[in-house]
Amino acid sequence: MNLANLKRNYYGYLFLAPFVIAFLIFGLYPIYNTVALSFTDTTIMSKTSHFVGFKNFERLFADDIFMTAVKNTWLIWILNFIPQLGIAMLLSIWFTNSRLNIKGVGIWRTIFYLPNLLVPAAVAALFFSLFSYYGPVNQFVVRAGFIPEALQFLQDATIVRVLVVFIQWWMWFGQTIIILMAGMTSIPIPLYEAAMVDGATSSQMFNRITLPLLKPILIYVFVTSLVGGMQMFDIPYLLTDGRGSPRSSILTNNILMYLKFSSSKGHIGAASSVGVLIFVMTSLCALAIFYFLRDRDQQSQ
Amino acid sequence: MFNNYKLNTYVMRALIYLILAILVIITITPIWLLIVNATRSTVQIQQGIAIIPSTHALENYNILLGRGLNLIQGFTNSLFLAVASTLVTVYFSMLTAYGLVVYHFKGRVAFNNFIVVLVMIPTQLSIIGFYQYMSKLGLTDNYAALILPLIANASAVFFGRQYFESMVMYDLIDAARIDGASELGIFHKIMMPLAVPGAVTMGIFAFVSSWNNFFTPFIMISSKEKYTLPMLVQTLRGDVYRTEYGSIYLGLAFTVVPIIIIYAIFSRYIVSGIALGAVKE
Repeated sequence: MNLANLKRNYYGYLFLAPFVIAFLIFGLYPIYNTVALSFTDTTIMSKTSHFVGFKNFERLFADDIFMTAVKNTWLIWILNFIPQLGIAMLLSIWFTNSRLNIKGVGIWRTIFYLPNLLVPAAVAALFFSLFSYYGPVNQFVVRAGFIPEALQFLQDATIVRVLVVFIQWWMWFGQTIIILMAGMTSIPIPLYEAAMVDGATSSQMFNRITLPLLKPILIYVFVTSLVGGMQMFDIPYLLTDGRGSPRSSILTNNILMYLKFSSSKGHIGAASSVGVLIFVMTSLCALAIFYFLRDRDQQSQ
Repeated sequence: MFNNYKLNTYVMRALIYLILAILVIITITPIWLLIVNATRSTVQIQQGIAIIPSTHALENYNILLGRGLNLIQGFTNSLFLAVASTLVTVYFSMLTAYGLVVYHFKGRVAFNNFIVVLVMIPTQLSIIGFYQYMSKLGLTDNYAALILPLIANASAVFFGRQYFESMVMYDLIDAARIDGASELGIFHKIMMPLAVPGAVTMGIFAFVSSWNNFFTPFIMISSKEKYTLPMLVQTLRGDVYRTEYGSIYLGLAFTVVPIIIIYAIFSRYIVSGIALGAVKE
């Protein structure tokens, strides 16, 4: 590399400057501010605030509602992620299988992805309307004779939870199909041909070729879904009354943070501590996923 | 034995098409019911389910307007915000991504890793601190607080970087340099026009994510005339509209249908764009 090239590379800093400046102002400082606030008793109304150490965090751990929120968020995420990954994996295998030769793969995928683009707030409100007492679902099941009279779906803790899980699944399985398929089609075909010549069964090929080579994609799907799932807000917030009713069954981390923020005094110190804790929890799990999936890969080599 | 094998494939294929058809019904039904009910009167909706649209959309719209919910204004607000967010995201993210791919400056690798870490950081970690800080600056209830942070949009930069890396362009850049073009000039006049497909994909995602965003505007915006469509959806859940089923569906359809139209036009860009973010070339 000559001197002119070396000098020219300083232009990199110029191109990055707007990003870095905007990040410092709108990204880094707010993060610092949130962490700092989480150690204070600041409210929106108060002029003064005091450093209270870990008191906000201690209070959260002592409070049942925080544990409920954490449990709910995890439960809803896991219950939606397993069928999401399972169904997406199955469909991706079918779509990429040349022997089955499924027609119209592009069209199927395009339809399945559609819910992912819809405004989540509107989707939640839509399901609220569909499952309300006088809504179409009740009309349908009563008239078809499945049940004798209309049900209060949205007042049943289990049904509401299942609904949130279903909506999340409905919105995300199409995206997972597209990502998994991109991963599968990037695996070189000669690998499968060689395996077939050696007499491998299709399940052997899946376990020994597809799955190991798909690992980076799986990590990506896993981690992005986790980070998104831990931030779930719009759907559970708008499906019922915005407080996770009935019986706090869909009260998620983010709803709890919002409730603290929007409480009559506006406890932004306490709200910040919820945000910080969710971040710590999410990062630890993301790192664990990276660690475990990587480690096994190295052993097999 | 060969016949048996062939038969199995036929049965399997039929089964798969059946499952796909069921999944399509599950995917489409809620959306179709939404659109149909938006055009039906409350009385019709109470009478039962229909799968053919009716003629009461305007009536439903006027009921909402009569109760102080202005869908057109919400639409205009959402559109303004989404267009501004798209322009800011695309220009600055392409600029950053280009700089990261083309110039081999010190700290480039570290910066690349840093971008990936930023993509993973959840909104919750910054939103409360952001709100308090913006209220000190007097920027709450101001769209600037929703648009300016997008100058540093990590996931868009990540996407742009993947895109530029897949483009062969060094010869072109060198040729332009010999012709005396400036570095910024090369980016603006040569690379950006060539990168239009990538910019369009990035732009669609930026547009949709701004259009769909509920949480951040919900925290930052307080005056009613600045409400975006997802925020109006939240007011639709209020008691005032409790029995106006047709109008509620219309309000929801108003927020959802523009996205469906965009998807109908750009679905190829969108579907290929999702994979570009995940699969390394």
